Amino acid sequence: MSGLVLRAWLRDWRRRPLQRVLTLIGVIIGVAVVLAVDLANQSAQRAFDRSMDEVAGAATHQVLGPASGFDEAFYRDLRMAGWRDAAPIVEGPARLPDGATIYVLGVDPLAEGPFRGAASDIGDAPVQRLVTEPGTILPPAGWFRASGEAHEARRVLEAAGGEHEVTLIDRAAERDEGPGEEAGDGAADDMGASLWVTDIATAQVLLDRLGRLDRIDLRLADNEVEALAAALPAELELVAVESRGQAARQLAQAFRINLTAMSLLALLIAAFLIYNTQTFAVLRRREVIASLRLVGVGRRAIFGVVLLEALLVGVIGTVLGALLGVALAQVLVAQVAQTVTDHFFAVAVTGVTPRPLALAAVFLLGVGLSLAAALAPAWEAARAASPAGTGRGGLERRARGWAAWLALAAIILLLAGVGMIVTGAGALVGGFVALFLLIAGFVLLLPWVLAWTLRGLAALVRGVTLPRIAVRSLERSLSRSAPATSALTLALAAAIGVAVMVGSFRGSVEQWLGQALTSDLYVVPAAPASARGGARLPEGWTAGLVAQSGAVSVSSGTTQEVVSDRGLVDLYVVRPHGDWLQYLPLLETAVPREALGARLAADDAVLVTEPFAAHHDVGLGDRLSLAAAGGRRAFEILGIYRDYGNPQGTVLMTQAAFARGGAPPDGVGSFGLRLPEGADAEQAVERLEAWLAEQQRAALVTRPGDIEQESMAIFDRTFAITHLLRVITLVVAFIAILGALIALQMERAREFATLRSLGLLPGGVRGLVVLQGGVLGVFAALAAIPLGLGMGWLLIEVINREAFGWGMDLRLPWVEVGETVLLGVGAALLASVIPAWRMARMRLVPALREVP
Amino acid sequence: MSTGTTQHPGLNGQQKADRMSESSSFSGPVLRLIGAAFAYPGEGEVLHGVDFELAPGERVAIVGESGSGKSTLLHLAAGLEAADRGEVHLAGEALAGLDEAARTRLRRAKVGIVFQSFHLIPTLTVLENVMLPLELATDANAAERRERAGRQLTAVGLGDKGDRYPEALSGGEQQRVAIARALVHQPALILADEPTGNLDSRTGETIFGLLLEQVRATGCSLLLVTHSHELAGRLDRVLTMRDGVLQLSEATEGVPA
Ligand SMILES: Nc1ncnc2c1ncn2[C@@H]1O[C@H](COP(=O)(O)OP(=O)(O)OP(=O)(O)O)[C@@H](O)[C@H]1O
Ligand SMILES: [Mg+2]
Repeated sequence: MSGLVLRAWLRDWRRRPLQRVLTLIGVIIGVAVVLAVDLANQSAQRAFDRSMDEVAGAATHQVLGPASGFDEAFYRDLRMAGWRDAAPIVEGPARLPDGATIYVLGVDPLAEGPFRGAASDIGDAPVQRLVTEPGTILPPAGWFRASGEAHEARRVLEAAGGEHEVTLIDRAAERDEGPGEEAGDGAADDMGASLWVTDIATAQVLLDRLGRLDRIDLRLADNEVEALAAALPAELELVAVESRGQAARQLAQAFRINLTAMSLLALLIAAFLIYNTQTFAVLRRREVIASLRLVGVGRRAIFGVVLLEALLVGVIGTVLGALLGVALAQVLVAQVAQTVTDHFFAVAVTGVTPRPLALAAVFLLGVGLSLAAALAPAWEAARAASPAGTGRGGLERRARGWAAWLALAAIILLLAGVGMIVTGAGALVGGFVALFLLIAGFVLLLPWVLAWTLRGLAALVRGVTLPRIAVRSLERSLSRSAPATSALTLALAAAIGVAVMVGSFRGSVEQWLGQALTSDLYVVPAAPASARGGARLPEGWTAGLVAQSGAVSVSSGTTQEVVSDRGLVDLYVVRPHGDWLQYLPLLETAVPREALGARLAADDAVLVTEPFAAHHDVGLGDRLSLAAAGGRRAFEILGIYRDYGNPQGTVLMTQAAFARGGAPPDGVGSFGLRLPEGADAEQAVERLEAWLAEQQRAALVTRPGDIEQESMAIFDRTFAITHLLRVITLVVAFIAILGALIALQMERAREFATLRSLGLLPGGVRGLVVLQGGVLGVFAALAAIPLGLGMGWLLIEVINREAFGWGMDLRLPWVEVGETVLLGVGAALLASVIPAWRMARMRLVPALREVP
Repeated sequence: MSTGTTQHPGLNGQQKADRMSESSSFSGPVLRLIGAAFAYPGEGEVLHGVDFELAPGERVAIVGESGSGKSTLLHLAAGLEAADRGEVHLAGEALAGLDEAARTRLRRAKVGIVFQSFHLIPTLTVLENVMLPLELATDANAAERRERAGRQLTAVGLGDKGDRYPEALSGGEQQRVAIARALVHQPALILADEPTGNLDSRTGETIFGLLLEQVRATGCSLLLVTHSHELAGRLDRVLTMRDGVLQLSEATEGVPA
């Protein structure tokens, strides 16, 4: 490879630094976005897995009882009977004074050894102090370093048992090691290590479980399982560990799938960006190639220099992009951790490292696509030996030919996608395949539609020379304008699709909350929101609550995890208001609604939520074997109702049905009070609060409005990440269209100079360029509306239904659609400002001298 | 200014008035350079102080060695570049005192340019290319623009090819379009930089004849750069660019071709 050839090629970096740097930025942004989204995605997965493993440890089976726990005496009996590989557990969430939610795991340190040693570092921890000093707790490794505390600290923990001050002990210090060099302080300890380990006695106090256990972890050989199951009392069940994590894993899966969809979209848009900038970098210098070929430089030598440059740009861009991506991921990961904490577990994801597969993917994207995008036009240019043959004209004519072929392929893809939706093939995965078929089809159709739209526009402005120049030059540069427009369309459509999905979801949730919260006041245990499920109030409070508030009706509800023939399920036991069925959003029932209330009270019958029916694939008339008072019984499903409260699904049972054949659940999860017409709620709240202050258990009075607010806040946090991704894709699309417009104008520099020499004012040039940006922006925005609405519909009707089992009413968020359209046009106009400004200030004579 | 009296086929009263208002307010030299000097950024001076006057209706050729600064001189005259020293007056206006927009306005009203490499707008049809100056420089309405451009095209012999795009024309035809475009709005001055340089000698001869004929028909002034002494000899005056200044050619007539 000759030095002069290399110099001829690379000199462009000095002559047009802005354009070449834009190429680099294209690669950087593209790689960064894809990597960041993947990291966020992967961290969510790890958080789930790790939480699950940490809690379960090395156990193969667990003995579980009612939600309120079971007598700890049973554990002693078990060990006496010879089941030595067993560890008792009391667990639950708690809250730190700074508001962070943590997960407390109370263990018997002496029995723990084989179970969680590796996962949570208990094996060689200072167990002595946990046992001998009540109120001591071990925060996760690294907590002390992160919080800047010395080796010991005191904190007030708020949990189901109320507020207690505890002593936090640094594991590292107790092992006589420096805080900076904890053994095993690798990635594994940083990630997801969110368990706060304490002695079981301390946990019982903190979590209001005196004398009781939540579960017993066991390691059983296959032949032991049956023997133990047979030996268990009726209220206890033996469950294999895998089945326990399944429901949660399924959900994690759904959440991940939504993230993956977004990251694929980011990948697509990033690919457009990289392709566009790299191709342009070569096309821009096709005269250099032509002239080099003319003086006898071989094709291989030309390839060599193009390859070298693309490789350099690709590698440097990929490395910088990866660094930027890791930084960006920190923001996303924090969002993901929050979502997971809100819905599933308290997790702390502090850092993630890219996995090799993701690195390979971004390398392929950054370097591979750079090479492909640069080499294809280089090959094209080098093939023709004369400069005349390398003009853009030929390329553009071919581009217009491709547009037609692409449109044909597009129609096939669209038909396939529609076919998949109509036949409902492939469930969730099928839904995604259909989604991508539709998106791909639509995007491939765009160049052709754009070409014809521009042609139509050009005919429309016949005789108005300047707009015609603008429109026609867009059409003639289809290979440039179409990919950029596609990128912008995709980003805008994604924004609209997500707006439709989130908007519909939010609207449905709001409506549901309004229906579900039929009491005027609620009395709930004073515990963090995520711990409320486990906390209980005395059943006997009913009379007192009525006396204080003057309520005309009191309902109660208790959620507990119970064993069933479908694994562990959430059972909601209610003692409802008389008219409750009027408010319950029932989707379908097996018996007339008037008869439903009586049947639910008198028979072994239940209602299930929409997600429950979807996840467990059950319907009206099916029977569920559930552990109610007095042991397992079969319950008939009489109805399915809409509920967004629990993504895993809930079984609803009346207290009358539950208690038949045994005692009602001990304790109530919440009371609902109906006040008489026109009663003063403020006053009732005051009196209730005064009364509650005298009681043994801490409880709060809340109003439906507060609950609604809290729920919607969690909802909004959940979707914050999708909003964030939306912004990111828009930024990428903005850069894509900016790059395309700059490219377009640079290619047309000679034309613009001619126009200027004929008397077009600098302002006229600006107008032309901005008009082009506007035309592309309006086209992209209009094209994004059908695509976005289609994506939204598919997300709601196919993907969310399959993934979560949630049905929702389609709502068209016209305001957001309008905003997105304006945003798209605005972005395109904004992107045209830089080239407009450059073109208007261009020096005419050098531009006029350029080879045509 | 003498142009008003020249015969031009089909020029009606309105158009005459148009033209008068555009180009008749001043009756001195159409172009005047006084000690004009110019250097490209970071390079040595190309023009060292050119003094030159072009009377209305006068047709002048500039010859000179390659790289002597002929094209640069035309760029100064058109206001595409600004002189570093000295003055350039176009139709009586000093370019130095005008900003970019005002210079552009003056240029489009007074000057038509014919380039060596045609410089047609590829995205416009031939007719639209010719309509362009009318749209930019006059307030003729669309029908009028179309009609005048059509007439000008017919005058250069391309009346039947108005709907084609430039890429579908031969080089000679493209240059005819360029000539039509330069003349269509009746400028006071035509600047032509080697208008036949990209054409074979026979076509070049024809095109040159056409340009002269059209210039004569409209009565405007012509400043033409050429390498051909034979063609140059057919104009009123021949000047030579040498050492960055314009000199009167030793012999305006009888130069070896
Ligand atoms: N963009 C530029 N930057 C620097 N120098 C330039 C530039 N354009 C032209 N020159 C120099 O200015 C001088 C005059 O150039 P010009 O194009 O005016 O010559 P010319 O007489 O038209 O030549 P030719 O007959 O070959 O067209 C030349 O020496 C050239 O090297
Ligand atoms: Mg020249």
